[in-house]
Amino acid sequence: MDNLLLELKKQIIAQLNLQDIKPEDISDDLPLFAEGLGLDSIDALELIVLLQQYYKIKLTNADDGPKVFRTVKTMAEYIENHQTDK
Amino acid sequence: MYIRATGNISPQHTYGHPLFLPELVEYVDNRLSCIEPDYKGIIDAKQIRRMSRIIRMGVASALECLQEAGIDMPDAIITGTSYGCLEDTGIFLSRMIEYNEELLTPTSFIQSTHNTIGAQIGLLLQCNNYNNVFVHSGFSFESALLDGIMLLREKEASNVLIGAIDEITNISHSILNRMGLYKQNRISNKEIFKNKSKGSIAGEGATFFLLSNESSNTDYAKLIGLRTFYKPQKVEDIKKEILIFLEENTITLKEIDLIIIGKNGDEKLDRVYDCLQSEIFSQNVIINYKNLCGEYPTATAFALWLAVNIIKFGKIPKAIDYNGVSTSKIKNILIYNNYLNKHHSLLLLSECKN
Repeated sequence: MDNLLLELKKQIIAQLNLQDIKPEDISDDLPLFAEGLGLDSIDALELIVLLQQYYKIKLTNADDGPKVFRTVKTMAEYIENHQTDK
Repeated sequence: MYIRATGNISPQHTYGHPLFLPELVEYVDNRLSCIEPDYKGIIDAKQIRRMSRIIRMGVASALECLQEAGIDMPDAIITGTSYGCLEDTGIFLSRMIEYNEELLTPTSFIQSTHNTIGAQIGLLLQCNNYNNVFVHSGFSFESALLDGIMLLREKEASNVLIGAIDEITNISHSILNRMGLYKQNRISNKEIFKNKSKGSIAGEGATFFLLSNESSNTDYAKLIGLRTFYKPQKVEDIKKEILIFLEENTITLKEIDLIIIGKNGDEKLDRVYDCLQSEIFSQNVIINYKNLCGEYPTATAFALWLAVNIIKFGKIPKAIDYNGVSTSKIKNILIYNNYLNKHHSLLLLSECKN
């Protein structure tokens, strides 16, 4: 899980071009949107692409988005659950 | 129309530089790249992360121009670009191929459109006023300028921010190079007018102007006229167009203190300029500018920036070689440019009598 969390943070930084932010600046429970990392709706689309590109996971239900992309930890959990399913 | 302020990011030291082109920045290549500022102090870090190079250059140049004019909210934002945001377009198209038309990144798609820079400026300023972009190849900047002039003449705006932005990327440079637009040998930009060979040198730039229909007493220059004409058959037709343009603006060639021409070092394309230089322009002081900024479809914006600053500073800068004729005060400047001998344009400027 720890490896996945670190990997995910690096991928988010690269995919969203978050300048001057390092993986250690993003705590596992930091909200990704609004008051946390401050991501927006375009970033949400980028995160969907990220899941598909690196983990081959397609987010089929749009209603799951807010739960899945709440924090890096919720993303990692979603990835683990869906990779185990396969 | 009064030109109150300018902003310019180019292959020369033009952005935020207090001195007016003190020396020519030399490139020994067939490609001139813009000298960019550190954007951290200019654009918010959260916004900059999604901006490609051309967007950053456009936004920074526009902001510099507005700051110089002391205007927070222009009545209109008008941009001209031929290539648009090529870098993002390249990323988007490459990904389409790489991922078999799936997994397309939204950011590069959103930012790849031609109106991105004008839109970003509008968003940054929270400006909901008139916002338009012209994508007319070698007339893109001239069309933007014409639109701005009409808005000012019809009093739909009292000040307009007008700019031209074009970039050269590795992909576009490679394609245009294959099409024979650029020189195949490595040559210094200092030498392009001496070394007669096929092709020019690639250029790029982001140049903005603040135009107003009212004098502010601190204006740099007055834009008197603009004329464009497409694919003239022979040099005689170009001469006619020039003389009609001057007549329309009630000025003669004798009264023109300086002519800025768009020679680009291509032996074939430069013949038109050579012909004009030896005939109707034979008594005028003439300078070239494309050894400073390279050739690109909106290069006329660089020429206009140069002309405005020559009037503002009252001198031809050291970076420019000219035909040695000493000039008294430069009051009237004519710009004649053509892009690939298809898109021809004339601009006339004069000093402001503040």
